[in-house]
Amino acid sequence: MANTPLIEVRHLTKHYGGVVAMADMNLVVQPGTIHAVVGENGAGKSTLMKVLAGAVRPDGGEILLDGRPITVEGPSVARVHGIGIVYQELSLFPERSVLANLFVNREPTRHGLISLTAMEEQSHALLDQLGLHVDLRAPLARLSIGEQQLVELCRVLIERPRLLILDEPNSALNRAETERLFRVLDALRAQGITILYVSHRLEEVFSISDSITITRNGRDVLTARTSNLSIAEVIEGMIGQQREALFPPPLPVKEGVAERGLSVSNLSGGRLRNISFSARSGEIVGIAGLEGSGVSDLLSLLFGNTRAAHGMAAFPDGGDLPRSPTEAARRGICLVPADRRKNGLMLEKSILFNISNVAVGARNDGPLTFLHGKALERAQRQIESLRIKAASALLPVNALSGGNQQKVVIGKWLEIGPDVFLLDDPTRGVDVGAKREIYGLIRRMSANGGIVLFSSTELPELIGLSDRVLIIYQGRLVGEVQGDGLDSRNVLHLVNTGEWPDDVPAKEAVQ
Amino acid sequence: MTDGDHSVPDSRPRRDRIRIPEEVGVIVALLVMVAIIGLSRPRFLNPVNLFSLLSNSTFLGMLAVGMVFLLAIREIDLSVGWIFNFSAVFSAVLMVAGVDPWLAASAGVIFGAGLGLVNGVIAVGLRLPAIIVTLGTYSMFQGLSLVMNQGRAIVPSDTSSSFFTFFKLRLFGVVPVAGIVFVALAVALHLLLHRTRFGYRVQAVGSNPEAARLAGIPTGLLRLQTLVLMGAICGLSGAMYVGFRGAIDPIEGSDFVLVVVAAVIIGGTPLSGGYGTIIGAVVGMLIIQVISSGLIFFGIDATWSTFVTGAVIVLAVALDQFIKYQRTRRINRIASGR
Repeated sequence: MANTPLIEVRHLTKHYGGVVAMADMNLVVQPGTIHAVVGENGAGKSTLMKVLAGAVRPDGGEILLDGRPITVEGPSVARVHGIGIVYQELSLFPERSVLANLFVNREPTRHGLISLTAMEEQSHALLDQLGLHVDLRAPLARLSIGEQQLVELCRVLIERPRLLILDEPNSALNRAETERLFRVLDALRAQGITILYVSHRLEEVFSISDSITITRNGRDVLTARTSNLSIAEVIEGMIGQQREALFPPPLPVKEGVAERGLSVSNLSGGRLRNISFSARSGEIVGIAGLEGSGVSDLLSLLFGNTRAAHGMAAFPDGGDLPRSPTEAARRGICLVPADRRKNGLMLEKSILFNISNVAVGARNDGPLTFLHGKALERAQRQIESLRIKAASALLPVNALSGGNQQKVVIGKWLEIGPDVFLLDDPTRGVDVGAKREIYGLIRRMSANGGIVLFSSTELPELIGLSDRVLIIYQGRLVGEVQGDGLDSRNVLHLVNTGEWPDDVPAKEAVQ
Repeated sequence: MTDGDHSVPDSRPRRDRIRIPEEVGVIVALLVMVAIIGLSRPRFLNPVNLFSLLSNSTFLGMLAVGMVFLLAIREIDLSVGWIFNFSAVFSAVLMVAGVDPWLAASAGVIFGAGLGLVNGVIAVGLRLPAIIVTLGTYSMFQGLSLVMNQGRAIVPSDTSSSFFTFFKLRLFGVVPVAGIVFVALAVALHLLLHRTRFGYRVQAVGSNPEAARLAGIPTGLLRLQTLVLMGAICGLSGAMYVGFRGAIDPIEGSDFVLVVVAAVIIGGTPLSGGYGTIIGAVVGMLIIQVISSGLIFFGIDATWSTFVTGAVIVLAVALDQFIKYQRTRRINRIASGR
């Protein structure tokens, strides 16, 4: 470690009112490396990145660039220093073209007019490298979330930063897109660009990073070369004393709960073609597939959000597919949507308001009145039962962390005690601690006699939690793995190719 | 309870100690305006004059309290003025034809609700925003009303019914009955918005329509119901107007919609949906009345009142924006501190 670090952070502190975001944060990043920063939400890693990017001013401490102290007073100053950041939340304009998004506020001109041709020329090589082959003049909204994320990355790279900060860049990316992103990062490292990488997905952190800094409670607790660490050690460092398994063991099914089933036959609609399967209460059925394969479509169809072209279903109440989300809610079928901020929550409204969403909003069996006291009772019941971290039920959900927001979405459904749980990537963008709690909740749903179907973009999660995994490839159900066959190799192969690995015995594959 | 000391580090985000009702701002603004005018022109504070402000606010104010529901569900109804007019014309024509005025007025209310249903069916059926649908029905209702009244004021000739004296009545010589009906309607709608399942759902849909739909809230039905409610309120206002004035002009109502929306916005209901304040809308309408009436007391030409009303709207939304900015900053501080 003889070279001067590219960037060094010493004793950074930051308070928000009475809340400590960073107590004593230190970080040393060697040039030309990929340096991962991990930690639970609230550990201070996002605040640290915002300080480096000039979005937040620290209360104390210093930042050294090439050994010289600097102050980053604003995003433009960060840019001058060669620091570029890709935030977790996209900051793009969906209605504008890909090109327009790439060159926001620095549009190249020719003869005084904005030139699309110049834009294409300037971004061509970079887009090629990113493997982003899309219509550059089409509105951004037509791209998948993964492609949009790459556009965001490309936008930052156009400025040729020396230090690239990625704040959970792949929370919305599927496997293939993530791999593509990693190939890009590898190439960037080879070009000498230093990368600070914040992520919740430890497997990926391990596959891409050179060094890891673990943060907890606003401090850095450990920095080491990735090759000297194991995932278990990192998790331990992140959560401190709590040493529980990431995936809680299955709970015994509550006594006296009758077994119920859900069966689907020849279901088509959206991207799906002739899907048939069944699920029982007491088991957790995972659904795997690439983005765009139709996993979300399946959950959407079962929830009545979209109409099936044909096919039938038998729900525990004896009914067919619900014709609307309202019917689904009244029949005890719930959906936790993938994009909770857009589709799951009323962000400016209080926790109290959101928790009443289904009980008061969808159900017609309650009283006609909406009483504050009753709603508060409901909210407090869920805050306690799901351990939602909030000072008051009257706080807007906007003020909660991602994990706690997701618990609010789950809580509003638990209020009506659903029979069927459709969970669309329920741990997206949620920190490890909250993930573990959500896994526990999913176990509880199942043990209480619920039928649980859950999809995820994270393979370890599907394998660690599911009793069976159904794999959808290009709209078709191509396989089901369970028991001994439930390993990442089989699932990955099916997810990416739609076929079983060659060495799997045919009789198992026929299933 | 001691006042919290800001310097004490506390891991919990601070709570609002006392929840100040959102409407305090506009109420204070109204009182200040009344006080200023009253101090220099004491005649303004005469109860007869103050209650005439309420009386003048009645018909537009009823529309405003209904409009709160539309803004709360993130919609807007541009056709309210012509639903008001058409329903009034409808009632008046029935009265001219010899129908009992009370019955004719009730029919007018139902007729208004029917026009609201037309708006609702088109908006929900075609999945169009109400603002676009009512832009069309605005002229349709105007046109049909003109066909019905043939371009002339409809004046029921037999005004012996109690209907024609009731709404003109002033209790104790000062309190207008029509104004009482307006206040009663406002109270009822306030309870409807904040204390019932329907009101909860309206705010939920307005707050995030997609999330509301995916929570199983019947969003289409709610938009329909809200537009029908708006129509019924316009019908009620229109029918009462016939009793109050004894006639309905062909152009009465043509300029209502902007004043109505202005009152709602001055009152503090945001255009972005998810929240609404009935009390605010009532106060907003009173503020507009106080401005135009105050100008007269100061001897300023009444034509200035339109300009001043506009300026007050800009001031009100600017203030509102400032308060919201402060609030989001506070929330962000709580949120990013984790």
